[in-house]
Amino acid sequence: MHIPDNFLSTPVWAALDAVAVPAVGLMIKRAGRDTDESRIPLLGVMGAFVFAAQMINFPVGVGTSGHLVGGALLACTLGIAPASLVMTAIIAIQAIVFQDGGILALGANVFNMAIVGVLLGGWPYRTWGAASKKRAIFLGAFLSVMASGSLALGELTLSGIAMPRPLALTSLGLFAISALIEGAITISVVQVLERMNPRFVPAPERPRGPALATFGAAALLLGLAGFLIASRLPDGIQNLGLQLGLASKTAFHSPLADYSAGSFDSLWLRRATAGLAGLLLIYSVCAATARVIGRRRSA
Amino acid sequence: MHHVLMDQWSRGSSPLHARDARAKILALLVFLIVLATTAPQAYSTLVIDAIVLAAAILIARLPLGNLLLRAAVVLPFSILFGAISWLMGDPVRGQGLVEKSYLSTVSVLIVVGTTPFAALLQGMESLGAPRLLILLAQFVYRYLFVISEQAQHMRIAAASRQGARNQRHRRSRLHAASGALAVLFARSYQRAEGIHRAMLARGFSGRFSTLEGRAFRLSDGLFTAAVAAFLIVVRVQ
Repeated sequence: MHIPDNFLSTPVWAALDAVAVPAVGLMIKRAGRDTDESRIPLLGVMGAFVFAAQMINFPVGVGTSGHLVGGALLACTLGIAPASLVMTAIIAIQAIVFQDGGILALGANVFNMAIVGVLLGGWPYRTWGAASKKRAIFLGAFLSVMASGSLALGELTLSGIAMPRPLALTSLGLFAISALIEGAITISVVQVLERMNPRFVPAPERPRGPALATFGAAALLLGLAGFLIASRLPDGIQNLGLQLGLASKTAFHSPLADYSAGSFDSLWLRRATAGLAGLLLIYSVCAATARVIGRRRSA
Repeated sequence: MHHVLMDQWSRGSSPLHARDARAKILALLVFLIVLATTAPQAYSTLVIDAIVLAAAILIARLPLGNLLLRAAVVLPFSILFGAISWLMGDPVRGQGLVEKSYLSTVSVLIVVGTTPFAALLQGMESLGAPRLLILLAQFVYRYLFVISEQAQHMRIAAASRQGARNQRHRRSRLHAASGALAVLFARSYQRAEGIHRAMLARGFSGRFSTLEGRAFRLSDGLFTAAVAAFLIVVRVQ
């Protein structure tokens, strides 16, 4: 689910951009250590493969069909950090060339699908893949799609887009169905790949440090939070959003009241300064975390 | 396919085509941020923004109708959410979703339609995007259409072998689809290895070299500054 521009309120997209930049930086650092230059053409061509895979339809149910999203498949075959970068490149191309998803919302889309989606897609395989491979791959694919969808819906709700509860629950149900389909497709493709050539699906190497478990758990919690936010009554969320100052003001007041003539007064300036300071804070916390983790892993 | 169309557009010659990619990227970002912070009912601002876009399309000599039609890809999504907001008693937000998301899409299309994709990526890299990511995006874009075409061929072949739509054999079609996907995966893998060998044979240095190195001229800076100043003044007036 690609969020277009102007669907998210400014604090939400700006904060997610500020989170996504250091997160992608961390993935680049980790991918750069694990892979040499010779893998770059492979990663790029596999990104093109994920694009092309959307043209092959899988029949499910009556008259409907699904297609591969690919986060979990890439995470199991290429490794988590490289897969995350490939997905980032794909999402950027979709936004720039195909107008599928916004430019300012790029951080949000990358965060939902390339960071959280790929982390959750590869985490079960890395952790339990040796014991029960099929289940781990299925779980990864399911979690990856489910978390991306729930997060997107949660972000829209936080931005103040009111949605009747039955509709929100229906969308979550649809996400769950496509997540199950993704699991089924990923498993069946991995099985064929293993028969063809076992090197396509490298055995899961045991995670060496606590980083993966921490990030996996954090991603799971985030996905869950998105799910809860999206499935709760929008009223509660609006109150929460108001308290946090997250949702844009136009959602709740009479709209013209805020757009009065002297918009360049001290209040406007103060708000902008406070917002910028908050963004800088978010960015620097994420960047510092990424640097610490990158350094510890390379030591 | 559209991509060919966009590539054709971006090879035109006009004052907007001639601007440096960085200048256009920065101007686009200013436009998007100004638009994102504009209230849905600030009609004068929105109309002036739309006029700026229309002027850009005319200056760039892009096909107006075609471009507006392509920008409509965002409409089903935004009209759906706009209608939901409207029904939930928030018509202003719904209206804002539709008009602002459409204007954003048009603005992105103008920049993509006047800048070749390679130049766009180069511009992003010199604006600070990580090299590895840019390299990956170049590869994805380069092989996107090659592998999509291969997928298309496989789909046609499968359909002609087993008959188009036979619901009773859903299980076998599922098997066929996952087999096709795995074959596509294996072929892409193999292709990538061939590509890498060919690159090494030609002395790849870790960076794609391009013919035209483009300097950021004074006119580019003036363009960005003028666009940004105009948009911001219109926004806060």
